[in-house]
Amino acid sequence: MSTPLLELRNLGGGYPPISVFRNISLSIGNRESVGFFGPNGHGKTTLLKTVAGLLDPWEGDILFAGTRLNAEGRMRARTSRNLNYDLFRRRRIRAETVVRAGLIYVMQGNLLFPEMTVEEVLDIAPRAAEGRQGVAEMRLLVDDLFPRLCERRDSKIRYLSGGERQMVSIAVGLLALPRMLILDEPTLGLSPKLRIELSQAVRRIRESNVPLVIVDQNVEFLTSLVDRLFLFDHGSITREIDAGSMPSHDEIMTMMFGETL
Amino acid sequence: MKYAPPFHRTNGFLPVLLALFALAVIPLVFTDTYIRHTLILVFIYAILASNWDISLGLGGVVNFAHMAFFAIGLYSYGITVKIFGVDPWIALALAPVLAIVFAALLAIPILRLEGIYVILVTIAAAQLLLQIVVSQSDYTGGTSGMVLLPRLTLGDYRLSSDGRIGYFYLALLLLAASTIFLYKLERSALGRAIKALRDNKYYAIARGVSEGRVRLLTLCASALFPGLAGGFYGAYLRVASPDVFGLGFLTMTLSILLLGGISTIWGSLIAAFVITILAQLLGDYGSWRSIIIALLIIAVVVVYPGGLFAALQEAWGGANRLKTNMLAGYRRRAQASVRAAAMGVEDRLVETRHGRVSVCDTQTGDKAILFIHGNSSAKEVFRHQFEAFRGDYRVVAFDLPGHGVSPNADPEDDYNVEAYAEIVADLVEHLKLGEPVVFGWSLGGYVGLEYAASGGPITALAICGTSPVNKYPDDMPRGYIATPHMELAGKRFHSPSEKTAYATHTIGMKKGLEPLLWQAVWRTDGQAREQAFAKLKTIDWPRQTRLMRDGTLPFAMINGPRDPFINHDYCRSLAYGDIWGGTPQNVGDAGHAPFLEDPETFNAMLRDFLNEVETTRTANVPRETTGAGRAASDPSG
Amino acid sequence: MISLDTFFFILASGILLGGLYALMATGLAVVWTTLGVFNFAHGTFVALGAYVAWQVTQSIGGGAGFLLAAALSVIVMFGIGFVLHYVLVKPFERNTNLVLLAVITTLAAASIIENGILIGWGPRDKQITPPIEGSVGFFGASINLYDIVILLVALLTLLALALFLRRTSLGRAMRAAAQNREAAELMGLNVSMLFAITIGLSAATAALAGVFTGSLRFISPTFGADPLMKALVVVILGGVARFTSPIYAAFIVGIAESFSAYFLGLYWAPAVLFAMMIAVLLIKPEGLFGHRSKTL
Repeated sequence: MSTPLLELRNLGGGYPPISVFRNISLSIGNRESVGFFGPNGHGKTTLLKTVAGLLDPWEGDILFAGTRLNAEGRMRARTSRNLNYDLFRRRRIRAETVVRAGLIYVMQGNLLFPEMTVEEVLDIAPRAAEGRQGVAEMRLLVDDLFPRLCERRDSKIRYLSGGERQMVSIAVGLLALPRMLILDEPTLGLSPKLRIELSQAVRRIRESNVPLVIVDQNVEFLTSLVDRLFLFDHGSITREIDAGSMPSHDEIMTMMFGETL
Repeated sequence: MKYAPPFHRTNGFLPVLLALFALAVIPLVFTDTYIRHTLILVFIYAILASNWDISLGLGGVVNFAHMAFFAIGLYSYGITVKIFGVDPWIALALAPVLAIVFAALLAIPILRLEGIYVILVTIAAAQLLLQIVVSQSDYTGGTSGMVLLPRLTLGDYRLSSDGRIGYFYLALLLLAASTIFLYKLERSALGRAIKALRDNKYYAIARGVSEGRVRLLTLCASALFPGLAGGFYGAYLRVASPDVFGLGFLTMTLSILLLGGISTIWGSLIAAFVITILAQLLGDYGSWRSIIIALLIIAVVVVYPGGLFAALQEAWGGANRLKTNMLAGYRRRAQASVRAAAMGVEDRLVETRHGRVSVCDTQTGDKAILFIHGNSSAKEVFRHQFEAFRGDYRVVAFDLPGHGVSPNADPEDDYNVEAYAEIVADLVEHLKLGEPVVFGWSLGGYVGLEYAASGGPITALAICGTSPVNKYPDDMPRGYIATPHMELAGKRFHSPSEKTAYATHTIGMKKGLEPLLWQAVWRTDGQAREQAFAKLKTIDWPRQTRLMRDGTLPFAMINGPRDPFINHDYCRSLAYGDIWGGTPQNVGDAGHAPFLEDPETFNAMLRDFLNEVETTRTANVPRETTGAGRAASDPSG
Repeated sequence: MISLDTFFFILASGILLGGLYALMATGLAVVWTTLGVFNFAHGTFVALGAYVAWQVTQSIGGGAGFLLAAALSVIVMFGIGFVLHYVLVKPFERNTNLVLLAVITTLAAASIIENGILIGWGPRDKQITPPIEGSVGFFGASINLYDIVILLVALLTLLALALFLRRTSLGRAMRAAAQNREAAELMGLNVSMLFAITIGLSAATAALAGVFTGSLRFISPTFGADPLMKALVVVILGGVARFTSPIYAAFIVGIAESFSAYFLGLYWAPAVLFAMMIAVLLIKPEGLFGHRSKTL
């Protein structure tokens, strides 16, 4: 395999002082899509937020296309509970750097900007891709993927349904011209009909050769889409499954929780 | 359940007593009126700031009309004595009443509001009051205020005579009363309701806290002493001017509150001294004074938002860490022979990935037993087992970091059950213990479970005084009996009486009998207690329950029937794949530490368990699961 | 009853006041909705802006001097606002007590600016010479030409600000940062810088209001307190639901102030405003115009 697109080396992080995940090492190839599956509240979103630059990693490295996105070394431990560390400790990673490198994270259940119209949001979305070609083509793809958004282009985000908001979120991510797109539970809390619609859109994004990292609670959806699946439990990757041997929902449940019920 | 010891049993008692004594003596030593005047101002600021904390810190209601309570007290004193000719003492008593009435009125508009709106409305209310005061110059003297208000007298004695000594003691009395009031309020049912509303409003309401009533009471409570202080201020300075509504006065009081630290009574009191005295010292510099104080406030808020009291606590914590560490170092050298006599073997330091720990190791014997002690204890708690088992086994015990004679370690990384389990793994490797039998007591029981669950080499596991947990924190109240002493287990600083209570309950003995263990409670790094408990939530509990349920590891639970902490019914109700004797066992009539209180019975039981493990192992027969699990609660969650 | 020309005179002066208040309050509202912080130093921004302009008019007189003074004052205040974000708000932007901490730091900043003015320019009252003289008739009332110019400039400034926020990419980015910080960061926006620009713009509008107020009345170091209180009343009365809400409210407040000052006397006018405000809060806490969510 050539240099991986995204590589995590012994990554650890959390919300100080509570460590949420430890020793995460993985590498994702150039044309590969991977999935994450695991119980809620075990650190998947925290890990992805760290990779996206919203939270500081405690230790380890995040490499994207061969360049390190975070500052070197470990995060200094807090010795005082009241000192304002935000003042003394520089951010170890910045979302801006991550986004400009082309690693785009689409947040879970994102409310976006309630008082802005769809058009306004889509207008500023390509700012992250400044100086790169292809925004116009991507816009065409987005319009094609989500025809609903064209209909609602002048509505405020506040008045959109949950599914439409998720569409805007994904569209915003796409317009930043991702070299890799991270989707955090794209179908969370949606009606079955919208879930199908969004799943199809995600499938088409996958087919247009954008490497995806997807977190979802629907095993069938995940396994049909990704090349590799990581099982995530208690802040670490407990198992890695290749495309050839994708298990069913029940098998995964057994792997993660043992014989139950 | 809340553990709330009486004040005279807490660590704060002595400093407060000393401070009160010093304040009472100062005017007798320094007869200078200026010092007394400054101190009276300090007391007034302290009352204002610390009472503001009721609404702002405790209640989370950012009430910017707090100064108006003071102003109302001041003007009500002025108007009642000057216009209506009421006796000054009665006027003084009336001042807080009017302030409370205003507070009650103020509660109405802010009841429906949140966050920043509360700030704006209360500012507006204070400004409205100011405008009314300024416009009613017939009564209030308008912008120039009222002057020459009658002073307070006791009989014929003027409080202002003898260098204002009467006023000084009256102000000190007010401050003391206000502080007692705040202390009691914070610990009362109302205080807890106020805090509950602040921390989780909807949960509190769902549990029956009436938001409207509590907010009303919050504001009224915070108006009582400021109103009184306002009346006192009028009687003392004999002037009532609208300056008290100004932003300057408000900023000064607010900076005292924030500099001291919100949600602490003592912080405001300390900061009142620091800021007022600083302001008096800088008095000659005019405008520069305000700039310096403002810069100082910005610096403190930006760099150290916790405030002065938090800084004091941190310094105290650092000193405590240093002290316990030095104590451990001293005892490691000086009491080596005492410990060797008790254990029959000398201890030594062993390097692990979480720092050095002190280990007792009998060295001989091909089968090893490793003992893990509990919270705030030491390895010497197992001395009877060393005596009894050293003939047949290699007996090993160690002091957890921050306990016994092990040095203190890094609080963030090393003081938690997972780190302790890693220490066990390191010891097993370094000391070449092979696959030991592990015995864990209390917190050590969790360490043993975590060690076994994380796949460390082990032959059998026995725990004592530990309730296995499947779902944290839900299982904690089920697994343990709620007693005040449970709170002590995770408390950082113990006062002497708390230490005594804790030691008595855990080892079940009086002071003289177990000096080494008694000392261990004193030596324990408070942060080890605090951190180990705070980080219980990061443990992979289902992994531990799976281990017990699967029954692949010989497992025993040996408890004292009079254990004041654990819930025996809960322990019995869990699903165990293979537990020795089919159910948790009880030792004679012992308490939390049966191996110490009734060593003969305990040792006999442990030996039985070890023998059974040995026979099954040598027979190498696949064992049938005894299936003791009844009414299994499903641990997969 | 009053005569018609008196009525129109009061109305006109109320509208002029409303224009100034709108200029002051909009800056305050923009910072509030963007950073979630109430800037107590806003009044002193007005005062400092006026003093900077006064200093320039002392060396260069005439209309050109006034224009230069206004421009310089706006630019300087933009810079000061921009820097103050990094000093007063940014250090604890992740603290849960942000609102309270920002209250104390902005109050402290207000104290520093006020005392700084006192040290720099002394306690004596000053006035900026108005660049335009003359008056026009308006339903029998004579209105200063300068007042009309001020009103027009104030309204045009607000219009320009609104267009900037809605139509330009930078303005849209600022609104995005205001509405969802994390999502804005994930779009690659430099949120801190956008926040700093927001405070800078707010300080710049405050400076403009200060220049105008300083040419109508006397200015003194404590002159910031009154604009702050007025802006506060306006913001509460109108709410912050829309960019325009505080502007409407500013005119209501201006007119109400003029009339109550005429009929009830100078001392009672502020009391009327505060009572009006509390009444609004009791009935409609989110302000007269619109819902309670914040926006830009």
